[in-house]
Amino acid sequence: MSPVNLTVMWLTFRQLFTKQRLIALVCFSAAPLVIAAIFAVTRTRTPAADLDFLRELYTGVISFVLLPLTAVVLGTAAFGGEIDDGTIVYLLVKALPRWQLVLSKYVVATVATYALMFIACVLPWLVLGSGPDALALFEAFAAAIAIGAALYCALFVMLGLTSKRALVAGLLYIVVIEIALSPNVVGLKSVSIREFVMTVAGKLAATVPGMHAGAVSVATVETMGAIIFVGSLAFGIRWLARYEMEERL
Amino acid sequence: MTGDGGLGTGGRNGAAERAPIELIDASRWYGNVVAVNAVAVSLEAGITGLLGPNGAGKSTVLHMVAGLLSPSAGQVLIDGEPAAGNPGIYRKVGLVPEREAVQPFLTGFEFVRMNARLQKLPNADDAARRAIALVDLESAADRRISGYSKGMRQRVKIAGALVHEPSVLLLDEPFNGMDPRQRLHMMELLHAMASTGRTVLISSHILEELNDLAGNVLVMVAGRLAASGHFREIRKLMTNRPHTFTLRSSDDRRLAAGLMEEPSVQSVELTEGALAIRTSDRGLFTRALPRRARGAGISIHELLPTDESLESVFNYLVKR
Repeated sequence: MSPVNLTVMWLTFRQLFTKQRLIALVCFSAAPLVIAAIFAVTRTRTPAADLDFLRELYTGVISFVLLPLTAVVLGTAAFGGEIDDGTIVYLLVKALPRWQLVLSKYVVATVATYALMFIACVLPWLVLGSGPDALALFEAFAAAIAIGAALYCALFVMLGLTSKRALVAGLLYIVVIEIALSPNVVGLKSVSIREFVMTVAGKLAATVPGMHAGAVSVATVETMGAIIFVGSLAFGIRWLARYEMEERL
Repeated sequence: MTGDGGLGTGGRNGAAERAPIELIDASRWYGNVVAVNAVAVSLEAGITGLLGPNGAGKSTVLHMVAGLLSPSAGQVLIDGEPAAGNPGIYRKVGLVPEREAVQPFLTGFEFVRMNARLQKLPNADDAARRAIALVDLESAADRRISGYSKGMRQRVKIAGALVHEPSVLLLDEPFNGMDPRQRLHMMELLHAMASTGRTVLISSHILEELNDLAGNVLVMVAGRLAASGHFREIRKLMTNRPHTFTLRSSDDRRLAAGLMEEPSVQSVELTEGALAIRTSDRGLFTRALPRRARGAGISIHELLPTDESLESVFNYLVKR
C-alpha cells in the first residue's frame, strides 16, 4: 500500500495555497533575492564580500527566519481548521487508513516548504554566487534546509492536528526555544532544529571560508532528528487514529 | 409508502443474515455525561427516522453507526461487522454530517469527485456527475462551495455521500436550509434509494419532516430510545397525549365544577387566580370549554397551553 494518497495530497495542496497564503509565501521566498539585489547594487562587490554576504543571508535570513516561519505556516495549516470546522469527517469516512492521511498531508507541507526555501536559496545565489565556494555554500544549505523542512514540518503538522492554537504553539517553539533560549542554554541546542540545520550546512560546506561547524554534533542531529521526526509523526498518527467525532453536549 | 424501514429491537445476535445496522445495547458516555444509554435496535432496508429534541443523542447514535465514535458499552454493527475502527465499512456507508462546513475553496464538482476518488471509484468524473445530477445541482457544479446557499451545501454533501452508491446512508438533519421544492426532491431521491434495498437512517428534531418519508421512527430522549415503531403510531401517541392548560375566567370555581363533568377533562386544580386543567383529548376539551362557559354565563379571559414544547412531547413518550 502506498504511504500517501494522491487525492488527499491534492486536497492539502489546494488547502495550503489559498490566495492570501500564496502571496505571503511568495514574498517570503522572494525576500532573499530582494536583499541580495540591494546588496549587489549598493555595495562594492568582491568575490569574498559576495560569499560573506551570501553565507549570512543563508544563515541569518533563510535558516533562522524564513525556513521556520514557512514551515510553521504550512505545517500547522496542513490539517488547519479541518478538525475544528468538522470537514475532516469527509476524509475519515473513507476506506483509508488514518496514518495515510497524516503522511499525505505531511509530505505536501514538507515539499511545499522545501520548494519555497529552495527558491529562496537559489535566487540570491544566481545574483551573488560566483566560483566553487559559492556553489558549495548553496549546495550545503539546499541540503540542510531539506532536513530542516522535514523536521519542522513533522513537528508542526503534529501540532496542527493536536492543538487548537497550533500556530501560536509553533511560533512559541521558534521564538522561545530556538531564538531566546537555545543560544544560552546548552541542553536546548539538542532540540533546536535551527541548530541541526547549521550543523548539516557546516559539515557539508566545511571548506568554504568563514563557515563554522554547528553547535551540536552530527550524531546529535541524527539521534535527536530521528526522535523528533518519528516521535512527531507517530504521535500525530496515534492522535488521529484515536480521534472521535463528539457530539457537543 | 415506499421504502418503509424494517425495525426490530434488541439486536439479532446469531441470526444467519445480519441486519444492515445493529445496535446491541450500545451506550456512549463522556465522563459522567451519558449521551446514549443502552440502545438496542436493528434496522432493515428502507427509511428509518431518528427523532428527538436537540441534545437527545441522535448525532451520537449516527456517529456510532458511522464508526466515528466507538460505543462505551455494547456493540454497533454494520452488516455484522463492528463499525468503529473499521475503515472497510466506508465502502458501503455514506454519511451526511449535520455541520454545514464543506471545503469552501473547492467547486461542487471537485468536492464530489474528491469523494469519488477517495472511494477509489474507477471513473470518478462520471460518478461525480451522476451524483450531482441526482441532487439537482448541475447548474452550480462548477461554482465554488463558498458561494453556495445552505440548501446547496446540504445537497452537495448528499451528493458526496451518495457518489459510491452506499448500501447504508446516514443523514444528520439533512433538510436544514432546504426550501420546500428541494425538500420534496430530496424525499423522492431518498424513497428511490430505499426502494432499491438500501438502508437509510435520517435524524431530525422535527416530526413533520419525517412525515411521508420514514416508515419507521426511533424516538430518542435524553440518550434513551423512548419509543420506536411505525410513523403513524408514534404520531398518534404524540397527538393523544394528555395536555394541560392554564385558564383564567370571570368565575373560576363555578367553571371548574362544570368542567369536571366533561369526559375529556381528567383533572382541574384551583390555584390562585387561575385553573390548571389536564385533559386527555385536546380537541374535545377545546370544543367543550366555550359551550360550558357560555351556558354558565362565564367569561374566559385567558387560555394557555402549558406543555407544548417539543421536549415535553418527547418527555411524555419516555414516561409513558
